[in-house]
Amino acid sequence: MFYNSSQKKCWTFENEDTLEKLRYEANQKYRNKMLASGKPTVNSLFLDAHEEDVLFRHYEKRLLDFCNAFKPVMPKSVVGTAIMYFRRFYLNNSLMEYHPRTIMLTCAYLSCKVDEFNVSSTQFVGNLVQENASGQERALEQILEYELLLIQQLNFHLVVHNPYRPMEGLLIDLKTRYPLLENPESLRKSADDFLTRASLTDIGLLFPPSQIAMTAIMNSASRAGLSMESYLTECLGLKDNKETLSKMYDAMRRIKSLMKRYELPKPDEVNACKVKLERIHAEFCTNTNMKRKRGYEDDDHVAKEPRMTEEEWTDEDLELDDL
Amino acid sequence: MDQYSILGRIGEGAHGIVFKAKNIETGETVALKKVALRKLEDGIPNQALREIKALQEIEDNQYVVKLKDVFPHGTGFVLVFEYMLSDLSEVIRNSQRPLTESHVKGYMMMLLKGVAFCHENSIMHRDLKPANLLISSTGHLKIADFGLARLFNNDGERLYSHQVATRWYRAPELLYGARKYDEGVDLWAVGCIFGELLNNSPLFPGENDIEQLCCVLRVLGTPNQRTWPEITELPDYNKIKFKENPAIPLEEIVPDTSPQAVNLLKKFLVYPSKQRISAKRALLHPYFFSDPLPAHHFELPIPQRGARHSRQRVQPPVEFSVDLPLSESLVDPALLRRHASAF
Repeated sequence: MFYNSSQKKCWTFENEDTLEKLRYEANQKYRNKMLASGKPTVNSLFLDAHEEDVLFRHYEKRLLDFCNAFKPVMPKSVVGTAIMYFRRFYLNNSLMEYHPRTIMLTCAYLSCKVDEFNVSSTQFVGNLVQENASGQERALEQILEYELLLIQQLNFHLVVHNPYRPMEGLLIDLKTRYPLLENPESLRKSADDFLTRASLTDIGLLFPPSQIAMTAIMNSASRAGLSMESYLTECLGLKDNKETLSKMYDAMRRIKSLMKRYELPKPDEVNACKVKLERIHAEFCTNTNMKRKRGYEDDDHVAKEPRMTEEEWTDEDLELDDL
Repeated sequence: MDQYSILGRIGEGAHGIVFKAKNIETGETVALKKVALRKLEDGIPNQALREIKALQEIEDNQYVVKLKDVFPHGTGFVLVFEYMLSDLSEVIRNSQRPLTESHVKGYMMMLLKGVAFCHENSIMHRDLKPANLLISSTGHLKIADFGLARLFNNDGERLYSHQVATRWYRAPELLYGARKYDEGVDLWAVGCIFGELLNNSPLFPGENDIEQLCCVLRVLGTPNQRTWPEITELPDYNKIKFKENPAIPLEEIVPDTSPQAVNLLKKFLVYPSKQRISAKRALLHPYFFSDPLPAHHFELPIPQRGARHSRQRVQPPVEFSVDLPLSESLVDPALLRRHASAF
């Protein structure tokens, strides 16, 4: 139940400013650590909060793409949980300290396990289609190396309440108790898209999943030119509860405005930040060890490399064990 | 880890060693379950994740063992549980004669309250058995070992593994290879435990999976489409045929038992999972409201500190010295709690 969950108690925040502040602090903490370490450095070398945000959104989108292309098809809740882990992780950590390329995969891997979407580790990295066998093996090594750090940074709070189930509940309720709406199923497609886009914003860190689901449905209805106001006032009995009703409208307004504000980072901006990030990781990566040094190189260069012919992973190669 | 001083070893779980330890600051005795991660090709084991998942999300309940803390340690992490003196399998094993009816009722009531709580929170335990029902020094029973627990959705289409639950307590649908099942598997196990408490010996002690099925069939009768409509859909239904065999009245299986006890037992041990009585409803059964009434936890036999416990006990320091760390000369509060609560 969401109401006594760790998500409500520890991972739902008052407002955007609180989140901004946490991220700013994580950025500062890393800078101070590096400055204190005595290595010769200048402040301009570091990513600032905005640049971290650019890269964060870039890697988050890549995480979503990776999950959407995953075979076998990843259930939506697994994808939602992975993205939420990623957001929670970088609330208190800087991208400069832990490379998002590894953390995003670790989030997806942990999410599969926690949500009982049982894929073996080889099957999981088999989905890194641009990597050859040894690249996949290295990726797996890194994932396993960071898994403990990740669950620790999540404060061992593993259960994520996604808005997908509440949305199913609302659709069922609409079908049974709201005859004014002819075909509730017609709302599904656009509501689904809404939830996916919402997962790429801070909405999940600010609002309970049921409100997000409700906003998705209402938004979908209004786009189709349907009014569902009487569902709130009559079916949910909010007519005489002006306070709750106005809170509800307020939450929906805030959710929609957060959605509107979201945009994908511009490619040239991403590239400039990436250069900086790689330089920081090359120079300061304090917790490098042998494993990580020979860790797989940057994503972009992998694609350029000629694909190895020996031992290429295909889906057929992957055993369906562990199922 | 600096917060705890290790007092001894309690046992070994599937994924690590369990230690008895003392919280240096509070003096509280706890059980530490270490999960090591070395050389695991799939990383953190699912069982550890499930346990954390199930226990982090539920509120405190008197009949479920409390996960007090989780912290990273070395190459793995440590789960901190409240310390429990013994478990129900020891109580059964150590009792000289069968437990009295009032004792059995007392244990059953606590077990059912714990199971009802889990099910209300959408958690199926999937491995209920006497060894996983811990007994505190005050006689309380608490459900432990959520390593196989899962959150269930009632509308879920997902398949679950049938290789769950210790064999003797495994529900017949699991023995037939079911991949879709529900909290009824826990209720079957509750029935098995109930029978074991009444008889002082396991109800269906199968030596292997096939024999397990035979044990169940011998008592409940060979299932057919009338007694168990869903059976034809189970994966292993066609793989094995048993000869027709009538049911044995449960009165003969648990002799010298009150009719109400047999009546309740019958409601757990039925083939169709949906027909098994829910934990919540079972608590309202006349069995619990008739004479002799369920024993209060103070009246229950406090488990003898068997061999297992004396081994882990740390000898108190014989000589006192000013240089000795204070923690070593303090008396373990758990030793006193028992006596304190008797008054």
